[in-house]
Amino acid sequence: MIRLEEVSKRYADKIAVDRLTLEVGAGETCVLIGPSGCGKTSTLRMINRLIEPSSGHILIDGRDTATLNPERLRQSIGYAIQNVGLFPHMTVGDNIAVVPNLLHWERGRIEGRVDELLNMVGLEPGDYRRKYPSALSGGEAQRVGVARALAADPPILLMDEPFGAVDPLTRERLQGQFVDIQHTVKKTIIFVTHDLDEAIRLGDRIAIMESGRLVQYDSPETILAAPANRFVRDFVGTDRALKRLSRLSVAGIVRPAPSVSLDTPVRKVRETLDEQRSVWVVDEAGCLVGWLDRDLALLDKPVREVMTKVRAESVSITRQATMREALSRMLGQGFHNLPVIDDKKRLIGEVTLGDIEAATSEVKA
Amino acid sequence: MQRRLARRWIIWGVFIGVFIWLIASPQVWQAVLGAAFPGESRVIYPGASLAALVAQHVRLVAISSSLALAIGLPLGVWVTRSSGRGFLAISSDITSFAQSFPPVAVLALAVPLLGFGTVPTVVALFLYGLLPVVRNTIAGIEAVPRDLLDAAYGMGMASNVALFRVELPLAARVIMAGVRTSIIINVGTAMIGAVIGAGGLGSPIVAGLVQDNIAFVIEGAVPAALLAVIIDQMMGNLELTLFSYPRR
Repeated sequence: MIRLEEVSKRYADKIAVDRLTLEVGAGETCVLIGPSGCGKTSTLRMINRLIEPSSGHILIDGRDTATLNPERLRQSIGYAIQNVGLFPHMTVGDNIAVVPNLLHWERGRIEGRVDELLNMVGLEPGDYRRKYPSALSGGEAQRVGVARALAADPPILLMDEPFGAVDPLTRERLQGQFVDIQHTVKKTIIFVTHDLDEAIRLGDRIAIMESGRLVQYDSPETILAAPANRFVRDFVGTDRALKRLSRLSVAGIVRPAPSVSLDTPVRKVRETLDEQRSVWVVDEAGCLVGWLDRDLALLDKPVREVMTKVRAESVSITRQATMREALSRMLGQGFHNLPVIDDKKRLIGEVTLGDIEAATSEVKA
Repeated sequence: MQRRLARRWIIWGVFIGVFIWLIASPQVWQAVLGAAFPGESRVIYPGASLAALVAQHVRLVAISSSLALAIGLPLGVWVTRSSGRGFLAISSDITSFAQSFPPVAVLALAVPLLGFGTVPTVVALFLYGLLPVVRNTIAGIEAVPRDLLDAAYGMGMASNVALFRVELPLAARVIMAGVRTSIIINVGTAMIGAVIGAGGLGSPIVAGLVQDNIAFVIEGAVPAALLAVIIDQMMGNLELTLFSYPRR
């Protein structure tokens, strides 16, 4: 647990952080957000003592960090930053191993940990361990950055816009992965961003800051539903209802989808289609390849000739997607239901517009 | 990468083999210079063998450059630390000042204090070689991106650990460039040592100029130029071998 008590940081000519009091529970993700210069990064850097507070106390599990050795303290806190800061003269494996090396772990243990982390962030260890950062794409580098922050399994993670420097598509994917990883590792995380969507998606609680002060500290739902003041209301914007959808993953509303294979006899297709207007078509491996309308299924032709072919990745979503993404896909394509596929493009179910509606009205209630 | 590096070292090895053979074979010089300057009665400098001159020269450079490195590198590092930062400006001023002195003037000043021979020459060369080492050490360390230091300290590296694991490896290329410049300058400047009796490849040149014997001058100048090239190549290969990593 992290507790900030009346923490201030004053520079000669301005106050960066003004009597900030904040508590982050163990296993919670707290997102610090606000316009640039609001003091969010200064706050983060005071927690691992990269800068020292001018006054106030920071307690980690009840111990005042000012009494701890700064190096020892930082080794026990994972740290990931916007420009990743991977060391270009070290391989990916050596970069991840920095803190374990500082802690004098045994060689075998370090190697095992590096591979475990690369797997966790979805990079094949055999391919990536020996690569140099210059050979990585932006998204890969960010993932290595996260792996490096997690290397010594610190209970606390500080992240300063870790997904800030990548394109929106990659960011989306990294955020999804972050949620999955946090689900398994359950770290206490303080996450700085200026992107509200990111804050809503990732945070258990959001701390909104304005010129060094904490304006509101609440769950994303509460912040969206009941902004504390005008500043917060302006900050969250007018599309609050839509933003709430980013909090919800489609995983909970995926329903089994009717599907037929390319070689299903037409007669069988008609049976499947009894209730449905259309049905998804999958190949031998179970991968989505198209859909079939009821009217067309009545023709006495093989499925593969009458179906509408699609590219799986362009019409479907994954289980990790948010409802917001699903809704936007539906609106964009004029569908009422979207196929859900796994990472090998195999059809695992579908999501319907009605279910999204139902899910959001539950949240409101 | 590995193969290219191996090839560079092999080429360098061949080069240095040829050089050694050349300085150990007075008969070759006799034949070539004798043919080029048929009017001269002597074409080989009589004061010392070519091998001995090269050895003296290398010794002068080795001692002075080692000193310049031994003092310049720690000095450059220290003034970028928080403890020495106050001396950053003054130390680069002093080293620039040392280099703005003409080497002959340094020798002229050193002789009354230190006498003739090797010692004043080494002092002059040392002062000369100091600037590129100090300047490039500072520049290399200062050029390490802020983000990387932030990451290094943020992960709990103490400042000396960050220096050896992050700052110096990243600055190595720039520092090596300074060391290389320093040594090459010294190979050339060491010629002047001959004027005050330190020997080296300057001796046949001085003798040649005094006696109006171009053959002597060539006998000093050609090996000195080859020596500079060989040392430069060696430093370049060392840099690639020790401090290379793929860049964007």
